[in-house]
Amino acid sequence: MSVAVSMEPAEFRLVIPSQTRYLNLVTGLAKRASLVAGLDDATSAKVSIAVDEAVTNVILHAYHGEGEHSVELELRFTEQALEIHILHSGQGLRGDQVVLPDPKEYIKHPRKGGLGLLLMSRFMDEVRFKADEVSGRNECCLIKKLD
Amino acid sequence: MADLSIAMRQAGDVAILLPAGFINAHTVREFEEALEGLVRDGRYTILLNCRDLHYISSAGLGAIMGLIETVRDHQGDILLSDLQPNVFTIFDTLGFTQLYRVFGDEDQALAAVAPERKG
Repeated sequence: MSVAVSMEPAEFRLVIPSQTRYLNLVTGLAKRASLVAGLDDATSAKVSIAVDEAVTNVILHAYHGEGEHSVELELRFTEQALEIHILHSGQGLRGDQVVLPDPKEYIKHPRKGGLGLLLMSRFMDEVRFKADEVSGRNECCLIKKLD
Repeated sequence: MADLSIAMRQAGDVAILLPAGFINAHTVREFEEALEGLVRDGRYTILLNCRDLHYISSAGLGAIMGLIETVRDHQGDILLSDLQPNVFTIFDTLGFTQLYRVFGDEDQALAAVAPERKG
C-alpha cells in the first residue's frame, strides 16, 4: 500500500495560556516539528531555543507576566521552510524597535537580560515582528529554511 | 519528572552544582536561588557540571551573568564542565565560552583550579 503525501503547505495551531509552565511543552513541540520538517537534530534544538525565547518574551514582556492571556503558535510547513508564528494580543513590538545587543559589549559589561533576541536572530534565518495597532494582534515570526 | 532538579556537593573549596533537566524562564528562579545561596555562604568558586542539563535559555544565562562579577571580586569563579552539544552551542554562539572557563569533565575543571586553591 502506498500513502500519498501532499506537497501542499500544511499548518496547525496550538494555543497555550500565557504561563511559563508551558514553555517545556512548546519547546518540545518546536523540536519535534523541526524534525518532521526535515531539519537535523542540532538545528532542531536551535529552533526550539528560539521558540522558547520568543514565547518567554510574550509572556514576560508583552503580557507583563499575567497568566490569564493566550499565546497562539501557528506552525507552517512549506517546501522551503518551517515557519513558526507566535501571535498574541499583549504589548506589541515592531521590527524597528528591536535592538540586538553586541555580544562583545555584553561580555565586557555583563548584565541580566537582553540575550533572548540575540539567540533568536542567531538561530533562525529570519525573525520578523509585526504589531497591528488597529486589531491589537501582534506577531513574532520565526523562519528556518530547509536546505 | 520535574523540569529541573539541582544536586549539590563540595570538592575542597569548589561547590559543584549539577542541574538536571531544563533551565528556562519557568525554572530559572530555582537555579538562581541555588547560585545565590552558595554566594551568600561565601562559596565563590562554583563548578556547574552540566552533564544532565538538556537545555538552557537566556534566562539561565542571565542568572550566571548576574553573579559572575561578584564571585570574581572575591577571587572565585564560575566554571562549566560536561556541556552537552546543544548547551555548548548556546554558550558559544553568544561568546560565553570566552567569558567562562569550559572543561570537558569535572576532573579537568577541579584540576585547573587546584593550584589556585592551594595558593
